[in-house]
Amino acid sequence: MAEPHNERNASSSVDSDLGNTTWDSGKQNAGSSSSGFDCNICLELAQDPVVTLCGHLFCWPCLYRWLRGHSTCHECPVCKALVEEDKLVPLYGRGNANSSDPRKKPPPTAYSDIPHRPPGQRPPPASPSSGQNHFNQHHAQSSGFNFMGPQGTGAPMAAARFGNFTFSAGFGLFPSLFGFQVHGFPDGNGFGPGYPFGFPMGFHGAARSYAPPAAVSDQQEAKLSRLLMFLGFIVFLYILFL
Amino acid sequence: MSSSSPKGLSRIAANRLHKELKEWQMNPPAGFKHKVSDNLQRWIVEVNGAPNTLYENETYYLQVDFPENYPMEAPQVIFTHNPPLHPHIYSNGHICLDILYDSWSPAMTVSSICISILSMLSSSTEKARPVDNDRYVRNCRNGKSPKETRWWFHDDKV
Repeated sequence: MAEPHNERNASSSVDSDLGNTTWDSGKQNAGSSSSGFDCNICLELAQDPVVTLCGHLFCWPCLYRWLRGHSTCHECPVCKALVEEDKLVPLYGRGNANSSDPRKKPPPTAYSDIPHRPPGQRPPPASPSSGQNHFNQHHAQSSGFNFMGPQGTGAPMAAARFGNFTFSAGFGLFPSLFGFQVHGFPDGNGFGPGYPFGFPMGFHGAARSYAPPAAVSDQQEAKLSRLLMFLGFIVFLYILFL
Repeated sequence: MSSSSPKGLSRIAANRLHKELKEWQMNPPAGFKHKVSDNLQRWIVEVNGAPNTLYENETYYLQVDFPENYPMEAPQVIFTHNPPLHPHIYSNGHICLDILYDSWSPAMTVSSICISILSMLSSSTEKARPVDNDRYVRNCRNGKSPKETRWWFHDDKV
């Protein structure tokens, strides 16, 4: 009887102490970096954490004081890389009991001379396409971009952008590309009805071949192609208005 | 906790020194001993010359004084008693080492300073005073801090 009871106790205490465990290791090991989230200046668990582009973690007040008050040139205290305040990345974690909305949080009294830490640089939200097609479309988009890019003219690229959204435009502008598409479509088993037209056959294969189930690379791919889509859109606007 | 908030140290500095001291006690740098004292603002550190170097089996003492806004400013680090004979260590104990002055960074710790100093000692090939020792020591006679010196860091070999 006693054994399972103990076991349960042990596991529950581990669970309930999870938060404390990290906190304690941060405190007791005192900067031996077992937690890995200590500020490189005050050696405490980072408050208002920011990360430099070189990857070093600081409390925003600590780093601010160093950059503004004491460093001769703006360099990372750890690796001496150039640090630009507007390129710092704030870390918005979860679960800090006393933090409400980070935007509204008044600076702590001790740090009253310290401005708010720089905000995160938020890319535009994901486009509202859904499910599998979302992924496929993005693959297709990036392929299209890569293919069209080297041609040097903006027009085909614009058509490619357009093609993702309105079939008629892609078709109308570039009927010849549609011919490739007809050939390619039966090949691309995995592509749903949302698959855009106007892409050469070769890229169907390519898109399919690098479409493994790895979610991380999918996400990266999606991000990249969103960026490319944005660039393409700008080029398109440029062509329209100039 | 008798020395929890000594005069002359900011709260941030005191917290950080507590943290460093704790870390030191758990994981002291090899070849160094912190001499226990109540004074958080002045550490006396015993240095033992590394084996197979010119300073093997020799013991020296470092005195580390922390400014109010440590770690934004470097501590003052000097050798007390008999400073080791070294081309970058003056007979008054002042040490010509860039990280103690211009190249200080708040990410450094007493422990990392100590390691740098031991490394400087260990790479020495001759036991000698700096060439300008007498002139420099004369200039510092009224108790000038080495932090007031404008140092030239020209020799990165030792």
